[in-house]
Amino acid sequence: MSVFRLEARELSKSYSGPALFSDLSFTAGAGLTAVAGKNGSGKTTLLKILARLLAPERGRVAIFDADRELSGEERRRAVGWAGPDLAFYDDFTARENLRFFRLASGLPSMDERLGKRLERVGLGDVADRRVGAFSTGMKQRLRLAFALLLNPPVLLLDEPAGGLDEEGRATLAGIVAERRAIGPVLLASNDPRDFASPEQTITLSR
Amino acid sequence: MRISGPLPRAWAICAKDAAQEARQRIALASVLFFAATALTLVSFAIGPAGFAREERATLHAAVLWILLFFSTATGLPRAFVREEETGTALALRKTAPGITVLAGKTLFNYFLFAAIAAVTVPGLAILVGWEISSPGALAVVLAASGYGLTVVSTFLSALVARAGGKNVLFVLVCFPLLVPLLLAAIAATLAAAGGELAGAPLRVILAYDGAATCAAYLLASAAWEE
Repeated sequence: MSVFRLEARELSKSYSGPALFSDLSFTAGAGLTAVAGKNGSGKTTLLKILARLLAPERGRVAIFDADRELSGEERRRAVGWAGPDLAFYDDFTARENLRFFRLASGLPSMDERLGKRLERVGLGDVADRRVGAFSTGMKQRLRLAFALLLNPPVLLLDEPAGGLDEEGRATLAGIVAERRAIGPVLLASNDPRDFASPEQTITLSR
Repeated sequence: MRISGPLPRAWAICAKDAAQEARQRIALASVLFFAATALTLVSFAIGPAGFAREERATLHAAVLWILLFFSTATGLPRAFVREEETGTALALRKTAPGITVLAGKTLFNYFLFAAIAAVTVPGLAILVGWEISSPGALAVVLAASGYGLTVVSTFLSALVARAGGKNVLFVLVCFPLLVPLLLAAIAATLAAAGGELAGAPLRVILAYDGAATCAAYLLASAAWEE
């Protein structure tokens, strides 16, 4: 039984114009939270704020393990994120990329586990191929592997099905089904097919 | 699971940069090309016998640091600019805090500086007949001054990368901040070439190094994270 939850309190953000969202508050426990809204409504921005890749103008985001709020490195490792503008080192192979990010996170590289992560997203056969030679769909699968790299209890997926084929979509659906039983999964998409019976939906409308 | 401390993580970032450089050879090739070109031009311009002996000593020390400054200004900003340009900065930002990233990049740039110095110093000695009475003292001056130069350059490259990665901007911001260090480094180099380890300029260099380290440590998050 998962005890992790993500709490957003009165978040506001704008880019030199009207606010994308203001005073947005919600709590996401174990299960799928769909983040919906038309293009430019702020879905990507919201997920980046939740991942601490962007700072909100107002408000705060907290991750709780039961009643204990996570901070610092523990918080950083508790949140997995993948988004369309997540890029990798083209000169490195998929395995080398993931190995580096594990080491930079302060965790042992554990090549065996990396191999399993890559197999899980369907990249087992091309694990030692340079990322520069990957197709759009393969890069998208690598983004999923990156999000799962540290086995985080909280998963933030921004347009995770972009560029994926049917097999890739099935893999993604399997990962979401697996992870939503463990902790909060927040998934932003324009395609309602990506949301399989979400526990809650946050609709952003500017 | 055991979480490693900041140093192994910084080392991982340095090793990644070194592996990238080994495959692309962009930074190393550009700085060494710049250093070699500038060195050749300087050697033709001043030559081994162009000035009186006393004037030559001062000139050589100044030329060395001019070459080192502009060579590093050519290569060091790439540390962060490349991450922003290729979009890998987001993944790195998600993975490691600012201070760890800055430490890793500084470490790599320090090795790059050492490579530049390893080419420039013997090159200058051979091409313009620079006499170095105390190579050990010169090595100390280069190590201490190179550290300050690297810390400040790397920190500024993090700021400049977020501002659009303009190399011109880097040089404009870098130069006034590095003038005190460069003046002390020239004085200490002049003394080392004459055979002594000058205390006063070396103290200035070490104080500068300490101040630069503290400033970079305190401001790393602001420079790298949102």
